[in-house]
Amino acid sequence: MTPHVVCGGLSFAEAPVELRERIAFQPGDIPVALSAMKDEMQLREVVLVSTCNRVEYFGATDSPERAAERWPLFLKNYHVLEPGIRLPSFHYSDESCVAHLFEVAAGLRSMVVGETEIFGQVKNAYEIALKHGATGKWMNRLFQSSFAAAKAVRTHTGITRGSVSVGSVAVELSEKIFGELDGRTVMVIGAGDTSEKTARSLKSRGVTSIMVANRTHERAEHLARELDGRAIRWDEWEQSAASVDIIISSTSAPHYVLTREKLERMLKVREPRPLFLIDLAVPRDFEPAVNLLDDVFLYDIDDLQSIAQRHIDERHAELEHGREILKPHVGRFCTWAQRQQEIERLGQLDPNRFPGGKSA
Amino acid sequence: MVDRYWLIAATVVYLGSAAWGAFALGARRATSTPWNDSVLLIGFILNSIFLYERGKALGQCPLTNLFEVVAFINWSLVLTYLAIGPVYRMSILGAFTAPLVFLLNFLALVVPVDVPVSPHHLGWTLEAHAALTLIGFGMLGVAALAGLMYLIQEHQVKRRSLDNWFYSLPAMGRLETVHRLVLKWAFLLFSIGMLFGFFIPRQTAFDWVKVFWSAFVWLVYAVILLAPRLVHMSRKKAAWLSVTGYIFLLLTFWGINSLSQDHRFNNPVPAPSNPAPLATRHQEVFP
Repeated sequence: MTPHVVCGGLSFAEAPVELRERIAFQPGDIPVALSAMKDEMQLREVVLVSTCNRVEYFGATDSPERAAERWPLFLKNYHVLEPGIRLPSFHYSDESCVAHLFEVAAGLRSMVVGETEIFGQVKNAYEIALKHGATGKWMNRLFQSSFAAAKAVRTHTGITRGSVSVGSVAVELSEKIFGELDGRTVMVIGAGDTSEKTARSLKSRGVTSIMVANRTHERAEHLARELDGRAIRWDEWEQSAASVDIIISSTSAPHYVLTREKLERMLKVREPRPLFLIDLAVPRDFEPAVNLLDDVFLYDIDDLQSIAQRHIDERHAELEHGREILKPHVGRFCTWAQRQQEIERLGQLDPNRFPGGKSA
Repeated sequence: MVDRYWLIAATVVYLGSAAWGAFALGARRATSTPWNDSVLLIGFILNSIFLYERGKALGQCPLTNLFEVVAFINWSLVLTYLAIGPVYRMSILGAFTAPLVFLLNFLALVVPVDVPVSPHHLGWTLEAHAALTLIGFGMLGVAALAGLMYLIQEHQVKRRSLDNWFYSLPAMGRLETVHRLVLKWAFLLFSIGMLFGFFIPRQTAFDWVKVFWSAFVWLVYAVILLAPRLVHMSRKKAAWLSVTGYIFLLLTFWGINSLSQDHRFNNPVPAPSNPAPLATRHQEVFP
C-alpha cells in the first residue's frame, strides 16, 4: 500500500452559507477534530481548513476511496447533523488534490478572486496541524510547496491588484492621493451605511480624526460615537470642511450640497493641498464640475463601483495565467510524491535496503 | 580623447537601464529591483571615472566645455537619484532618470561640443561657483522628474483612469515629499553656487545677461519652494512649474551661455603658450 494525497470538502461553490455555517469548526475544536479524522477516515496525516467560505481537509492516506466515503459521515457525526442531510462535497486525489490546494492558497478559488486572507488561513490551518502532530512528510511538503506556489502567483500576476469593493477602492484612492493616511482628517456628511463603512475602512488605515455632520444632529452623534469621531452641527460643516482632507457625502438632499462656486470659496481660505471628495449619494451631493479644480479629486458612487467591477474582471482575466504559473509547482510536488511512493513500495518489499518506506 | 570611452560606456549602461525601466513599466513588472539600481550605479561609476580622468588631464574641475558640463550635470542627476531613490523606496524614479541622462549624454557625445581649451588655473571661487551650480542643476532635474511623475499620477486620479501607471507610480503624497526635498537641497546648492559667482575676481563689468537669466531661474524655484504656504499655488501648478522650469533651463542653457560674455562655450584658447588675460580666463567655465 502506498500513500496518496487526498482532499475533500465543501466551499461556497458547492454549499450555501446555511450549510457551511453548520459544518464550520471553531479554531479551538480543530485539534480534537484532526485526531478524530485520522482515526475515522484512516488518514496518516491531515490538515483541516475551516473558514467562512470553505471547510476542507487535506490528508495522506493509503485508501483515497475510504477517506472520501468517510468524510460526510465524520461531518455528520462531529456536528450531530440529521442523517439524511445532503453534503455536496468534492474529492480530489494526487495531482488534482495538489493543484486544488495550490489554487486555494493562491486565492484562485476564492469568492473574491485574488484575496490574500485565504493564504493566512491555509497557513494557520497547517500550523495548527503541525503543532498537534497531525502532519508528516507528506503534508509538510505539500503545504510548504503551496506557500511557495501562492507567492509566485501573487508576484507574477495581477491577481491581487486593485480593490474590489466601494470602501476599499476609496481607501486605495486615498492612499494614492495622500500617501500615508496617518494624521488625515475625514468628514462624513449624511449618515448612510456605505459612508459609514468607507469611513471605517479609512480609519482602519490610519485616519485619525473623523467629523460627522447630519441634518438630524442625534444621528450625527450616534455615527460619531460608532466611528470614535466628533459630531458637528449641520450649519457648521462648510466652515469645518476647509480643514479636512477627505469628505464622504451621502445625504438625501435633492440638490447639490457642494457646488463649484462654494468649493472655490472654501479653497481660498485653505492651504493648497489635495482634497478627496467621495460622493456616495443619489442624487449626487457634489457638483461634478468641482473635479475641474486643482488639487480636488471627485469620485461618485458609479465611479467607485465601476472601478471595483473592473478590478474583479481583471482578476478573473488573470486566472489562467495564475494556473499556468502553478503547473511547474504542481509538477515538482508530484515528481517528489512519485519518488516517495516508489521508495515506500520498495521498502515494503525490502525493509532493510529502503528504510524510508517504514517511516511514513 | 581616450577618457570619452568611459562616458560612452556610461551612456550605454544608462540606455540599458532606460530600456529595462520601459520594459518593466510596459510589462507591469515592479521596477523596484536592486538590479536596476545596480545598473545605474555602474553607469554612475563609469561617469565618475570619466570626470576623474578628464579632471586629471586638465588639472582642475572638468567644466571647461559643454561636453564636460553635460557629463557633470548627468553625474549629479544620477548621484541624486542613487541617494534618494533607494531611501524613499522609489526605484521607479530611476526608470525616469535613466532616459534623461542617456539622452543628454548621447547628445553631448554626438554633437561636436568637446572642444579642448588651453590649460590655465581657474581659482577656487570659480571652480566652486561652477561645480555647486551644476550639481544644483542636476538635482533640479531629479526634482523635475518627480514633478513629472506627480503630474502623471495626478492625471490618472483626476481622470479616473486607474491603469498601469496608477499602480506603477508612487502615491502623489510621496512624490510631492521627494519633489520638495530634492528641490530644497538643489536650491540651496544653486544659491550658494550663484553666491560664489559674485566673488570671482574680474576686471570687466558684471555679465548682466547671465545674471538676469540666473536670477530668473532662481526666482522661479524660489516661488515653487515658497508655495503653498507663502504663495497660494496648487501642488499641480508647483509640479508644472518645476517641470517647465527645468525644460526652460535645459533649452536655454547653451543659448544663454553663448550670449554671455563670461560663460561662452565656443571660444577655445588654442595656444597654451599665449595665456589669456585675466578678464577672459573664466570664459570657458560654466555656468
